[in-house]
Amino acid sequence: MRRVLRRLGWSVVVVWAVVSLAFAVNNLLPGDPARMVAGAQARPADVARIRAQLGIGEPALVQYVRFWRRLVHVGPRVVDPKADPSHATCAVVVPLGSAAVHLDFGKSFMKHAPVVDLIATRLPRTFALAAAGMLVQLLFGLLTGVLAATRRGSRLDRLLVGTSVLGISAPTFLIALALQLVFARGLGWLPIDGFGTTLDEHLRCLVLPAVTLGIYGAAYYTRLVRDELAALLEQDWIRTARAKGAPAWRVVLLHGLRNALLPVVTAAGLDFGALMGGAVVTETVFRWPGLGDLSVQALLNRDGPVILACVVVTSVAIVVANLLVDALYARLDPRIGDVALTRSR
Amino acid sequence: MRSIRAAYDALAAALGLSAILLLVLPAGCSRALSDPIPPVHDDEAAPRRGGTLRLASISDLRGLDPAGAVDGLSLGPVHLIFAGLVDYDEHARIVPELADHWSVEDGGRTYRFVLRTGVTMHDGTELTADDVKRSIERALHPSTPSQFASYFTGLVGYGAYANGEAEHLEGVVAEGRYDVRFRLQRPDATFPYLLALHAMRPTCKSAGYRYSDTWLPCGAGPFKLERGGWQPGTSLRLVRHPGYFRPGLPYLDAVEWTFNMQEPAQRMHFERGELDLVRDWTDITAARFAADPRWQKYGAVEGDNAMYGETMNTRVPPFDNVEVRRAVAAAIDREHYRLTGPARMRVLTQALPGSVAVDPSYVGQRYDYAAALEHMRKAGYPYDPATGRGGWPDPIEYLLYDQGAVTLTAPLLQQDLARIGLRIRLKVVSFPTFLTLQQRAGAVAISLGSNLLDYPEPSAVFDGLFTTSSISPEGTQNTSFYSNPRFDELAAKAHLELDPERRRALYQEANAILCDEAPWAFTFGFHFYDVHQGYVRGFRPHPVWPLDVGSVWLDRTGDELERMLGGGLR
Repeated sequence: MRRVLRRLGWSVVVVWAVVSLAFAVNNLLPGDPARMVAGAQARPADVARIRAQLGIGEPALVQYVRFWRRLVHVGPRVVDPKADPSHATCAVVVPLGSAAVHLDFGKSFMKHAPVVDLIATRLPRTFALAAAGMLVQLLFGLLTGVLAATRRGSRLDRLLVGTSVLGISAPTFLIALALQLVFARGLGWLPIDGFGTTLDEHLRCLVLPAVTLGIYGAAYYTRLVRDELAALLEQDWIRTARAKGAPAWRVVLLHGLRNALLPVVTAAGLDFGALMGGAVVTETVFRWPGLGDLSVQALLNRDGPVILACVVVTSVAIVVANLLVDALYARLDPRIGDVALTRSR
Repeated sequence: MRSIRAAYDALAAALGLSAILLLVLPAGCSRALSDPIPPVHDDEAAPRRGGTLRLASISDLRGLDPAGAVDGLSLGPVHLIFAGLVDYDEHARIVPELADHWSVEDGGRTYRFVLRTGVTMHDGTELTADDVKRSIERALHPSTPSQFASYFTGLVGYGAYANGEAEHLEGVVAEGRYDVRFRLQRPDATFPYLLALHAMRPTCKSAGYRYSDTWLPCGAGPFKLERGGWQPGTSLRLVRHPGYFRPGLPYLDAVEWTFNMQEPAQRMHFERGELDLVRDWTDITAARFAADPRWQKYGAVEGDNAMYGETMNTRVPPFDNVEVRRAVAAAIDREHYRLTGPARMRVLTQALPGSVAVDPSYVGQRYDYAAALEHMRKAGYPYDPATGRGGWPDPIEYLLYDQGAVTLTAPLLQQDLARIGLRIRLKVVSFPTFLTLQQRAGAVAISLGSNLLDYPEPSAVFDGLFTTSSISPEGTQNTSFYSNPRFDELAAKAHLELDPERRRALYQEANAILCDEAPWAFTFGFHFYDVHQGYVRGFRPHPVWPLDVGSVWLDRTGDELERMLGGGLR
């Protein structure tokens, strides 16, 4: 328990460090958020008034302290923006009797909306895309990786490896456009882009972006699984299992693949965490309204509260994914489970 | 040997897949433009009611509250939701809209507007003078993030109101139910143009007296926003205002926008008849539509309100020397610029695109290589093209940001200026960084200049970009730091001059000074090229408002479109 707590403590430190770095970079970059809100040719008096309204005229240290004090704080259990404007941009995360723990990223400079609302709207969409993309990646990656490894040196192996090189080399936007042209414009099976309004439409709209991410990632997992599994299938204990008369599928899937999954789980955990930050190109091409588009727009417009919120979400996602990977490691190989936990000693 | 065979197989796999793609892609991808979907009735047919016009944009909508900060995209829907006391007509002249008429009193210090009677707002109430006063006070209140408030410093009592010392704006007076008076500290002939700005448009009583982020936009325009009609980042749907004050209008039942749609997707949707009018074309696609005889009658050029040029800092060498600036203005071959985006760019030789005072016959700045060399000689930096000797000795940094057209024109500028002995190094930065550096005194010698007219009157360009009073050490509007007492005098006089012709003459003299002294080398004007399907009728681009579809009608029915597409709406 103590080890787990220590690990969680380090995770908090990682998130704090990443967000602090993002805060510093955001403040050091040239560019005036008030100017971006007011417009390129706004008069200085209007820019100054908007700067005061945004509360960005204060020293960076004051803004930094205010950001952290506001990020997680205790407030009323029910948020009523009209009755209590000081909590207008908060979201209640943990109720505590008549009070509650609030999460507050402030208000977006450009969208004039509480950032928690923007994140709450877009995070599930990004999660859905990331999960669907990972599913396609792993499904295809594992399948083709196992096929290539078990037929090492064959024409099929070389075909799959060659195809994976093509998949890794092709830029995401090219894959996306090709899929749009063929399956949406040409064959008309799926929507060109969008998000839809019903569950059925959401799922139909999700297919092409998920496959885009899937093709790109599957190529990588094909290589990873193929190389790892092929090496394992040469091991003595695999030969022993075969000699004992275990069926080929059992040798490959239970003895071989289970052990080959360790690097796959590591890579998938990190990939999933990164995808939670938003698959920017895929979201943009397919008009999938997730975090990727939000963070890019925020960066271009110097929308500080949104930038920091996206950094928090992404770093938390990566940290959580890492924790899950460590837990999964212990499941897949109990010997490594001990090492994974002792690393934090 | 084994690795060679593996490489061979990998290559074979790649070629095989490429071949499959080449076979499959034609199913969806074709370089040829599809045929327009024609109207059902002939050209003489009377407008018909009904239907939803579907539009798209490559970017997202920033806001719909006219009092708040809005962007170029917002102007279209804001114009459809909110009607103004006055508006710009098809020649960008001021005409009454919610006002029945107006008069100028007290030598130009007072403007009296008499409202139309019986104008119904979207909430069903009648527009009154109190609504006008309340809306303007809301827009100009210091708590409102307005980008235009400082245009109204001339109103009596503005200072006290902006400082929070007064509860109401003294210079806006509601007299009775339908009379509104605007009292100015000094005469200002440009005031009606300011009143047509979207920020000044009357809002429903639900807007209250103070700006709020959560207000549901509500005005007196031809279309209204219903609750849930705006999904930020995704779409906007406006529906017909049944009580619109112009009888019979609008024809459409609704207008829908889809946001954040990239250009290739817009084209696919447009060709499938799922978008009715598109403007976000790339230069290449716009040029193809403009050149295609099938599509020419369905293409239209929007108002030319964007002015581009090269901004030369008149306080930084070598551009503190007027002869060097004149040399730059004469050295640029603007026709080459235009060819980088022929469907959306126009050669610009003077300061007033899209403005009511523009004189198309005036030559302004023009390409004259011999004259450019002569100006360099007069400046003391003679350049010999034969030997490449002479000119300004040091490289000069040219600041720009990564924006489509300019990434193509900047290398042309480099070439043109190298031919007169000015060696330019391109420095590309992000847009926020660009603005910070360009608007800081002494930070930049030459940079990309761009200006979008806030309103179609020369003061919108002259006052901010070129008068001495607009110079400030940080965040300046006058990015060339240009100062000329005669120019300042003409710009100030124009505000006081109520006679349109005499005012026009003042502006044209001021314009001639700018063209001669060249704080900017004016290069090109930019406009959108709109393309609509044949069944979209009655669309004429407005000189100021983007996608003004208030009198558009659709000449099709669902069944008709289904037949045209040969298989129904996909």
